[in-house]
Amino acid sequence: MKDGFRQAMAWLHTWIGLIFGWLLFAIFLTGTMSYFKAEINRWTHPEIPVRSVPAAASIERAQAYLLQNAAGSSRWFISLPDDREPALGVMWQTPAQEGKRGNFTRKSLDPQTGEEIQARSSMGGEFFYRFHFQLQMPHPWGRWLATAAAMLMFIALITGIITHKKIFKEFFTFRPRKGQRSWLDGHNAIGVLALPFHLMITYSSLVIFMSMVMPASIVASYGNNVQAFYADIFPNTNGAKATGTPAPLTPLMPVLSAAQGQWPEGNIGRIVVNNPGDANATVAVFRSSADSVIHDTGLALMFNGVSGAMQSAPAPRSGPMLVSGAMYGLHLGEFAGPLMRWLYFIFGIAGTAMIGTGLVMWLAKRQLKHVKSGVLPLELRLVHVLNVAGMAGLMVAVAAFFWANRLLPLGMAERGDWEINLFFSVWGLTVLHALLRNGRQGWREQLALGAVLFAGLPVLDIVTGGKYLLASLQQGDWVLIGFDLTALVTGLFMAWGATKFRPVPPVLVARGDEQAAPKKSRQLGIDTTQLEGEVN
Amino acid sequence: MLLATLLCYVGFTALCLSMSKHHGELLHSKLSVGRGRLLRVLGWALLCLSLSSALSAPAWGLALVEWFAALMASALLLVFLIPFRPRLALILAAAGLLLSPVAAFNQLLV
Repeated sequence: MKDGFRQAMAWLHTWIGLIFGWLLFAIFLTGTMSYFKAEINRWTHPEIPVRSVPAAASIERAQAYLLQNAAGSSRWFISLPDDREPALGVMWQTPAQEGKRGNFTRKSLDPQTGEEIQARSSMGGEFFYRFHFQLQMPHPWGRWLATAAAMLMFIALITGIITHKKIFKEFFTFRPRKGQRSWLDGHNAIGVLALPFHLMITYSSLVIFMSMVMPASIVASYGNNVQAFYADIFPNTNGAKATGTPAPLTPLMPVLSAAQGQWPEGNIGRIVVNNPGDANATVAVFRSSADSVIHDTGLALMFNGVSGAMQSAPAPRSGPMLVSGAMYGLHLGEFAGPLMRWLYFIFGIAGTAMIGTGLVMWLAKRQLKHVKSGVLPLELRLVHVLNVAGMAGLMVAVAAFFWANRLLPLGMAERGDWEINLFFSVWGLTVLHALLRNGRQGWREQLALGAVLFAGLPVLDIVTGGKYLLASLQQGDWVLIGFDLTALVTGLFMAWGATKFRPVPPVLVARGDEQAAPKKSRQLGIDTTQLEGEVN
Repeated sequence: MLLATLLCYVGFTALCLSMSKHHGELLHSKLSVGRGRLLRVLGWALLCLSLSSALSAPAWGLALVEWFAALMASALLLVFLIPFRPRLALILAAAGLLLSPVAAFNQLLV
């Protein structure tokens, strides 16, 4: 019975892993990149200068800019610059008309001058971040698919633990250069050793979308009035209606200092002004999400927008809200400092590698039977093509996105969209390439191309954005050069992966007799061991 | 958090050495039953000590997250060092053992 159960779990693990593996690989890879969303944004918008301007001064500039450019909006949003985001972000929403939500406009300001920064149009890190849970699909389908994948990932993790017979006995075991054995060891080691991370990241993703996935408890308590639920959860964003009587907005700087007085050790994250210029204006001051593990977008200090007096402090949250906020915060990792952020990134890569090694093993195990004939059946060929394009091809597409960011003309219409179009076109081409080239060549060429593109990024950056790089280095700012170095290391790693796919020596192929067959199969096994390159 | 990280790494190394397979591989000697038990107890004790030292920080929520990160990172480092740089894995553990009293003293002062 026990064995039967374990076998059933192994079956589930294998097939979930195969069918959702490529999607999960892409979600994990882009999600891992999103830990450096702000840093990627810096690299894709090198025009944004790094300034150290006190928060008080930049809020005045934001207010002046918004008064001039966004009078008559229903809401203003101001994000103060911080260590990771050097620009002063402003956004405003036009009033709702005929039941339709008003449009948002977003601008980046130089906190020193208050002028708009003319940065290139690019989605940057935001693209990878959005892709990892929306998959570039129309709302809400992408979220549903990503959440379904997360649920299956969770099942795959649990079934994986059950399937793994020697979880303690082989806890410290990794045997390299042993073909299939090494792949399984590696898959198990990164799965087990970083298991707390894998479980946390997968479970928390379900918590983040719980109101979408499991709305039953909300429906039971609130019926069809979902708005009432959100009003309870986010008491401060539920702004009152404008009265229509104009009244000048209070200066925001004193409001900010009053808020800072309430949070002596905290940082201010975002300021939202509801109905600016109206008698019924309110100002909500939110705490920076870097301040606490618990992520809570609903808590704010509320101020009267005309008198500037404080109206209400946030009420303490209930236990379940704190737990869900902690799950949210753990997933996003916004509280993490540089070291912790790198660790998040490394564990994210570990998760990606776990999925990648699983996919490779699925195929390698079944490929062995066909080594003699040298011809793969159609379904295995399909898995092979998806493995190459889903892993190496995705890396090539990511690199292409960054190349597009530097090479597309700055004045091009819809430039940001073109970067994304290029990303998907290149990814599509890698599928085509994997279809046309046979097994090992497909891997080798795509890994080599990825290596050239990634290792070339620093060179491209120096050629096209050298002055930005130099300026940032003079200020002792390591973000741009850190991106370039990471790209270089990624490129070298892919190059190493590509060298493991050297063509099989012709002697072996030509002989093809009974004696050579086991030798060849061993070679195949060894070579797949080295696939790890593409995983990173 | 330095102390917690060092203790995690040393604790995992002790647990690893308490298994005869790894003991032979790393120290090239046979593991006696008593020694194996001692190393196992020592390993678990160090991991528990590591958790308690991490949680002595005032912000225990953040400290718990950091402890998990230290736990996973030290285990990953150890497991991938053993096959490629076994001596370095042991040297790091010895250094960790020597440094941890200093780190503990430092933590007491702060």
